[in-house]
Amino acid sequence: MSKFSHIYIEERATNYPVAQQVLKRFSDSKRVIIRHYKDVFNRPHQDFRRQKASTKLILAVKPEPFLYPGPEVCESFGNQNFYYTSPILNCIYDCHYCYLQGLYPSANIVIFVNIEDFFGAVDRQLEGGTLYLCPSYDTDLLALEGIVPYASRWIEFAGTRQGLRMELRTKSANYGAIAHLKPVEQVILAWSLSPGEVAQRYERLAPTLKARLSAIKAALQDGWQVRLCFEPLLKVDNWQQIYGKFLDEVFSIVPAERVFDANIGVFRMNKEQFKRISRLRSDTDVFAFPTVCREGGVVTYEDEEEMREFFYRHLSRYLPQERIYG
Amino acid sequence: MIYIVTALPCEASPIVRKYGLKRDSCRHFPLYRGDGMCLIVSGVGKMSAAIATAYLLAYDTGLGQTGGEKGLAIINIGVCGAFHQRYPIGTPLLVNKVIDHETGNQYFPDILIEHPFEEGSLETYNHVVRQEDVLSGRVEPQADLADMEASGFFQAASRFLSPHQIYIIKVIGDYLDVVDFDRQRVAHCISGIMGLLDGFIKGVEGLCRVEGDVLTPDERQQLEKVKKSLRLTVTQSHQLMDAARRYKLRTGRQLPDLTEFTQTQIKVKAEGKKAFERIRRLLLYE
Repeated sequence: MSKFSHIYIEERATNYPVAQQVLKRFSDSKRVIIRHYKDVFNRPHQDFRRQKASTKLILAVKPEPFLYPGPEVCESFGNQNFYYTSPILNCIYDCHYCYLQGLYPSANIVIFVNIEDFFGAVDRQLEGGTLYLCPSYDTDLLALEGIVPYASRWIEFAGTRQGLRMELRTKSANYGAIAHLKPVEQVILAWSLSPGEVAQRYERLAPTLKARLSAIKAALQDGWQVRLCFEPLLKVDNWQQIYGKFLDEVFSIVPAERVFDANIGVFRMNKEQFKRISRLRSDTDVFAFPTVCREGGVVTYEDEEEMREFFYRHLSRYLPQERIYG
Repeated sequence: MIYIVTALPCEASPIVRKYGLKRDSCRHFPLYRGDGMCLIVSGVGKMSAAIATAYLLAYDTGLGQTGGEKGLAIINIGVCGAFHQRYPIGTPLLVNKVIDHETGNQYFPDILIEHPFEEGSLETYNHVVRQEDVLSGRVEPQADLADMEASGFFQAASRFLSPHQIYIIKVIGDYLDVVDFDRQRVAHCISGIMGLLDGFIKGVEGLCRVEGDVLTPDERQQLEKVKKSLRLTVTQSHQLMDAARRYKLRTGRQLPDLTEFTQTQIKVKAEGKKAFERIRRLLLYE
C-alpha cells in the first residue's frame, strides 16, 4: 500500500494551519480522527519493518516539554546549553543502522502541528541565555520539507533570534526547497555523509552521496554555513580503503576551506536500542560485528578507537584540527 | 494460517462452504478447520467475541506457550448496522477504527496492504442499536457503523498479535431498522463478499508470512547439540544463537563445523565455559 495512504488526525489538531496544509497535500489519503496520537503511535506489538513499507502520517498537538537536553552520545560542537527538539518523529528514509527503530514503537511519522508552541518554548529558553538547538535529530526536516515546510520555518525563526544557534541535520539532497531563503548566521546546515557504497547498501531511500555533495556545494555557494557529519562510520570490508577514498571524493567536490566544521562518529548506540534493533534486523550485517558496551550503556565496535583515529588522520589532511569534532 | 471469528452460525456458513471447512470436535465453541484456515463461532456480544478470540489464539495456535507467532492473521467477519445510508446494504467495509461505546476506548488495526473494500469506523455496543435510539438522542453515534463484537475481538486479539495481523470486515446488513432477524438475509450478505474476501485473505497471508531465520534447520540442530553437550546455561544458549546469526550475517558463509563441540563430554562447569568461549571467539572473529 502506498506511503501515507492513511492520515490519523488528533481532533484538536484538525484546525491548525499546518494540519490543513498536510491534508490538502494528501487529499486522497484516508482520514481517521483520533483522540491522542499515542493511541496509534504507541500501540503494542507494532511491526516497525512492515510499517516502514506503508508508512502513515499522524498529525498531533505536542504538549510540553518541547526542548530536551542534548544526549551524551551527540556532539555539542563546543556549544553551551545544548538542547534538541522533535517537531516530527520518524523519518522517510530507512537506514539499516537508524536508532529510531529501537527508540519508537512505530514507523509511522508524527507531525506536531503546533510549531508556534515549539518556537515559544525556544523564546522562553533564550530569556535565560544562549541556546544551541538541534530540531532535526529524530527526523530529517529537509527530507520532509515537501510534506511540511518545517526546515524553512525553523530557519526563518532562527534568523530572527539572537543567542540562538541551530543545527539542521539532514541526508537530503532537497536543498532546492530552501534555496530561496537568505543564509542565516544562526543556522548550520549539517549533512550526514557516508561513502557511496555504504550509502547504497545501508541507507535505503536516502539520496546518493553524489546528490548530497551537489546539495552541499550549492549551499556553500549560496553562503550557508555547512557542517559535514561523518557518522556513523560503519564496519565494511576494506573500510580503510573505502573511507580513505570517500574523503578524497568529498573534498574533490566540496571546497574544504569553506566548510564550517565537521564531526566524526563511529557507529554507536544505546545498549537497549541496539538489542532491540539487532533482533528486528536479520537482513543486515550492521549489528553483526564484534561490539563492546562502554560506560553509560553505549554499544560500539570493539575497534572503535582505531576507526576514529584512522578517519581523523585522513580528515586532518583536508580540515584543520580545530574544525574537527568527535 | 488465517483465523476467522464470526458471531453467528449464519455468518459462518458461507465461509465454511467456500473453503470446505470441517467441524472440529471442540466442546467449547463451534469450530471449523480447513487448509490454512480455522473459523470459530463466538456468539453475540463483545465478551463472547473476546473469549472466543482468546481461546483460538491462546490454545489453537500455541501462542500461550511460544509467546509469539507471526505467520498468521485473524479476521472478524460479520454483518453490522450503518448509521447513514452512504453505502447500500451488502457493502463490505474494512474497519480502520473501533470504538468501544461503553469505555470510549479506541482501537486501530494497521492497514498495510491494498484491499478492495471501502473503509469506515465502527462502534461496538453492549446492546442492539435501533434507529429510534439515534433519533431520540439516546445514542449519539461516533462512527459509521454499529456492531456488538468488534471491540472485544480486537482487545483480545491485540494481546497476542500485531495490529497488522488483526482485521475487521463488516457487511452492512441494515440501517438500524431491523424488525425480524432474518438468518438467510445475513448469510446472503456474507456470501456476496466471498470473492473480495478471498483476494483479501491472499494479500493478508502474503503480508504476514514469517521471515525465514538466517540459520538453516541443520545449523539450528547442530547448535542444539552443542548446547546440550556443553550443558550451556540459558544465557549462554542465547549468546550462542546470537553469535551464530551474527557470524552468518557478517560473513555470508555457512556456520563452521562445530562437530568437535557436540562430541565433547563436559564433567565440570568450567570446561563448558571454556569451550563456549572458544566457539564464541570462532564465530565473532573468524
